[in-house]
Amino acid sequence: MLQPATTSLFQAATSTFESLALLFPEQQSADGAEFIPLEAAVSVTYHGAGTGRVVVGVTSGVLPALAENMLGSAAAPDQQLQRDALGEVANVVTGNVLPLINGATAVFRLDAPVAAGETPFRVQAGETQLAFTRLQMDEGEAIIALFTRTDDHPDVSQAMTAAAEA
Amino acid sequence: MNLNVMVVDDSAVMRSMIRRTLSLCGIPLGEVYEAGNGVEALQCLDDHWVDLALLDVNMPVMDGEELLTRIRASEEWRALAVIIVSTESSDTRLARLRAHGVEIVHKPFTPEQLRNTILQVTGLSHAAASNDFTVPSGDFDF
Repeated sequence: MLQPATTSLFQAATSTFESLALLFPEQQSADGAEFIPLEAAVSVTYHGAGTGRVVVGVTSGVLPALAENMLGSAAAPDQQLQRDALGEVANVVTGNVLPLINGATAVFRLDAPVAAGETPFRVQAGETQLAFTRLQMDEGEAIIALFTRTDDHPDVSQAMTAAAEA
Repeated sequence: MNLNVMVVDDSAVMRSMIRRTLSLCGIPLGEVYEAGNGVEALQCLDDHWVDLALLDVNMPVMDGEELLTRIRASEEWRALAVIIVSTESSDTRLARLRAHGVEIVHKPFTPEQLRNTILQVTGLSHAAASNDFTVPSGDFDF
């Protein structure tokens, strides 16, 4: 049985931060998340058995820690590598959360991660936010959200929304 | 025998992580080549001898599935040992990939998972790989 989308997103995100970057998050209340000063945010768009995006934003302390831990470097990686590291985290979160919500037979294609713009967590026209999680680590915070488009695959989106609300 | 390995992933960070894992896990390594997509990987195969390819699936320009299809259609490379290193979790797509005779390592992966899969697909014995497989403190999973 598929689990609620927020549980799936939290599970995929914590597993990714822990395994990929050796950062160990705890879940925080979503209250006030809109006021967290994010250093960077990236978005991964998915297509296939549904269309949408996953956004991962982090505060300033998390960004260099991600890259340092992923690359195992003593020296701080440059900003490009830091953002590439965040992009890979977003990619792995996306790849792991979609089957948790949609089942193992659904096929998705992921675009390369891109910078997520000024208001990365604002729901855009034609999409719904399926899940949201806020993580606290020693190094700072991370916010992750899963959006699905409702305008191009209404049947699939309704199914995903139903799974999210289960 | 030292293995020449081609790492194909659009993330420079992931390529570096895999390269580092390879250097840590006691596999007898020759050259390690990197490519950011399937087109670059085919160019790399034109230019170099490769014993093992580690392929991501979701990449721009040419994805890993199309790259794998082209590799298997090639007279020269159809028997190349290939490991898919990806977040791909769809049973449908994984079955399609496995039909090409590849093994799958799911991201995030541990160095041990990658090492054991390399030994499996290359036919190297554990004895052929160095016994001093040590991961520096703090490095457990990738």
